[in-house]
Order: sequence, then C-alpha cells, then structure tokens
Amino acid sequence: MINVSNLRKTFDTIEALKSISFNIPQGECYGLLGPNGAGKTTTISIMSTIVTPNEGEVSIAGYDLKKNPLDCKKNIGVVTQELALYNELSAYGNLLFWGSLYDIPKPNLIRRIDEIVNLLGLADRKNDKVKSYSGGMKRRINIASALLHRPKVLFMDEPTVGIDPQSRNLIFEVVEQLHKEGMTIVYTTHYMEEAERLCDRVGIIDNGEIIAQGTLDELRTSGSMKETVVISFTNLSDERFTIITNEWNDLQRFDDTLHFYSMNIQSDLSKIILTCNEVGLDIKHIDIRKINLETIFLSLTGRQLRDK
Amino acid sequence: MITLVKKDLTLFFSNKQDMLLTFALPIIFITLFASVFGKMNNSEEGKVVGLVHSVAGTAVMMLLFSVAGIGGSLLDEKQEGMLKKLLCSPVPPNHILFGKMIFANIISIVQLVIMFVYAWLMFGLDILHHLPSLVLMIVTIAFACSGFGVVLASFAKTREQVQGFSTIIVLVMSAIGGSMIPLVAMPEIMQKIAVFTVNYWGIQGVYDIFWKLVPLTNITFLSRVLVLIGIGTLLNVLALLMFKKNILKIV
Repeated sequence: MINVSNLRKTFDTIEALKSISFNIPQGECYGLLGPNGAGKTTTISIMSTIVTPNEGEVSIAGYDLKKNPLDCKKNIGVVTQELALYNELSAYGNLLFWGSLYDIPKPNLIRRIDEIVNLLGLADRKNDKVKSYSGGMKRRINIASALLHRPKVLFMDEPTVGIDPQSRNLIFEVVEQLHKEGMTIVYTTHYMEEAERLCDRVGIIDNGEIIAQGTLDELRTSGSMKETVVISFTNLSDERFTIITNEWNDLQRFDDTLHFYSMNIQSDLSKIILTCNEVGLDIKHIDIRKINLETIFLSLTGRQLRDK
Repeated sequence: MITLVKKDLTLFFSNKQDMLLTFALPIIFITLFASVFGKMNNSEEGKVVGLVHSVAGTAVMMLLFSVAGIGGSLLDEKQEGMLKKLLCSPVPPNHILFGKMIFANIISIVQLVIMFVYAWLMFGLDILHHLPSLVLMIVTIAFACSGFGVVLASFAKTREQVQGFSTIIVLVMSAIGGSMIPLVAMPEIMQKIAVFTVNYWGIQGVYDIFWKLVPLTNITFLSRVLVLIGIGTLLNVLALLMFKKNILKIV
C-alpha cells in the first residue's frame, strides 16, 4: 500500500532524513517510533504531499507521489499534530467544512459525520462550538476530520499529545477499530506503550535514519538483547557477591541490588533464585525487566526515547 | 474554493469583534469626521466637499485596516495547522489564496456599501443619482485594497507582524494619500507623493462622483478606475508569488 525508497530531505544545512526506505502492506498499522526531532514528522509530511523530498520515491495506493499527488491526496487522511480546527465553528461545522473539500455529496457527508461522531463518542456535543471542548475532545474531532472521505491510508502524527487518559484510550480503541476494518495506518509516536499496543510493525527512527524495523518479536531477537532480573537483598556482602559471580557471570552490582542478564528469563529465573538461596542471600525485592521498545531503542542508540 | 469562501464568511459573521471593527468603527469615524469637516465650510458646496472627503477618506483608510486583518487570518491558519491540513486535501494550493482574496473582496464591498449607505441616510449623500459610478468605484477600491491585505500577510511571518506593519503602513498611506487631511491643504510635494497611495486614487474617484459630478464615461474617472484595477492586480500577483515562496513553506 505504501512504498518509500531512499527518501532524503534537507532543510538548509540540516539533514532531516538520510535515505529512508520502508514498505507497508495493506491493512498494516506501522509505527514510526523515535525521539523529538528524529524525522518522524518530516517523513509523514512528505507522504502527506506537503513537503517535497530532495531525493527518493514514494507511492501510496499505487500512485506515485510526484506524478499523481492529487490521487495520493484522495487516498490519504492526515491527523496532524496540531489541532487544526476552527474554534468558532461547531464540531459539525468543522466536519462539514473538511468533508466538503473532498467533493463528498452533502447527504452522504452528513450521514458520514453522524457515523463518525458516534464512533468517537461526541454525538451529544456535535453542535457545540469547538472552543468549548476539552483538549481530548478536540483531538477526537481532529481525527474525525481525517476519516470523512474513507481514506485507504491514515497518517497519524502523535495524535495523543497532551490529552487525558480517557480520551487517549478512546483514541486507541478507534485506531484498533480502523485497523480491524483493514485501514492502513502510519502512526508516529515517542510513547513506546502506544507503538507496542497498536502497531503490527515498528520502524525506529533516529537522526533521520531508520535504525531498525520489524515486529516487536523480530526487534527483540535481532538485537540479541537480554532481559534483566533485578533483585535487591538485605544482606549482600562483598564475599557473597564474589561467590555468586562464580555461579552467574553475566550480572552487575548496584549497592544492595544485583542485575542478572538473561536471554531466556523464563528458564533462568528459578536458577537465579536458587543460586541466591544457596549463597545465603535474603531477597528483599524482585523486578523483571522484559525487552520492550524503550530498551531496544536504548540498546540501539544508547539514549532514552524520551527526555527525562 | 467556494467552500473556503463560505467557511471564511461564516467565521467572520460569527465573530462579534470582527463585525464591530469592520462595520461599526468606520461608521463612528465617518460620523466624527463628517461633523467636523461639514462645519468647517459655510457654503453648500463646501459642506458637500467636507462630507465627501470624510466618507471617502475614512472608507479607504478603515478598509485598509480591515483587509490587513483578513490577510492576518491566513497566518493564523498557518500557525494553528489548518493550512497544513488544507494542503493535505485535494484543494489546489493556489485556491487557498484565491479563496482568501474573494473573501477579502466580499467583505470590502460590504464594508464600503454600508459606509456609503450610512452617509446617505445620515448626511444625505446623494448616492442614488450616481449609483453606476459608485458601484464601479466601490468594486475597484475593494479590489485594490483587498490585494493589500493578502500581500501584507505574504510578507509577514506572524499575525503580530501583520498588525505592526499594517498600522504603520496604513497610517502613513492615509496621511499622505489624503484620508486624514484633504490634499488641497497639503504642500505641492505631498500632493505629488500622494499618487503612490491607494487612498489617493480611491478618494479622487469618489470626489469625481459626488463633487465634480462627472459621468461614468469621463476619461479622468475611468483612468482612476484603471489605476485602481492595476494596483489590485499588481498586489494580487505579488501576493500569489509570495504565497508560494513564504506561506507554503510549512515545515
């Protein structure tokens, strides 16, 4: 459904994208995960036809972006990071306006608006001015405005920024529903929980490059990454630490806490606990840190995904 | 494009502040200036000149302020992300600007019509006997001034910049062009500089209609119409070029 090859974009002296390539089959939810300034929005902006790349090819729904931008535009819906809504108009007025840009016959458009405001739980407030809405409600209307023309591909650029947990969950449910209905979705975020929950595949982007991509399982195995068992003790001494390192060499000490690293935590956990008991260590607390996108990103870049 | 114009008109007429600034404020100024200039002359002709000057001068000046605000709305849409979303839609980018131009023309025409009707009802300005000439003049002044608003927005980066620039430019143009003080009261050099302002051509056109009472076919009158059309065309073409260069640079 989407083919991106060797995409490059520079803004003055800044190289925003350095030869990015990926393919997204129909019906897939593809996550672009990366920190702020990594190149996610630039990639989405190019695919949305509003930024011209310096090099590279993009095709959407079989249409070449350079040769047939209008056909591409008709097949995409874009949920922008900004709340692109007219505050003085009602939700209905906003949706009527955005829908009219796609030449949808008015009776069909009105039916579609009703359908979407119901899906997004805003039917009761559709005639209120958008300025009276909460941030989460505005986000939902912003999403609704991108769905009116039933696009084949939906680009969502950080659609949950600055909203309450209730609206966030509702947006997740809507994305999951659209995914189930077979819509192809490109979802950018710097929240790994969102990518883990919603996306079939993830492309990790950093400094304008896709540094890894695949399903979460593929990313876990490709990096030979280890899971961690973090155990804190009440009686960890230097002597006991020396004994335990003879039994288990892939570990690190942080004061009264030991980090045990393992490729297969399920089989190794009982062995670790048994060793600790044999050495006479009293366990205070156990924490298992599984591999997730955050740890994958950390291992790939040496940096946290979000600034702490 | 019609959808874009309809949206702008709906937003405009639902905003009380915009309505007040565009329609009520000019009426207050016309009332003030007409009272002052009308009493400065005792002769019947002098009173007419005073009234015509008040109406024409105020109308063009206030119109320039209004269209600057309309141009500024284009930058609001850029800052708030609407322009980005519009560019993702199948609407051709130029239509976004053309829509804004049509909207600015409509508001300008409505504003001028209201001012002249007010002058007719309150001060007896004889608009009914000069209707064809007045309609032509209103349309051409609106065209020339609306181009000013859009071109200003095309050069500025934010609405605040538009407000700052427009206040200075409109006040200077109005002072030089005869909106504030009648040109006859100005030194000769100032009268020569005045031809570079849209105010001058608009005010002289209205003088022709109500004071000099020239017919629609009068060459001088038609030449002023042509100059106004020329100014409008130049500003709109410039706006289109700048729109592509500046405003469409989204990221």
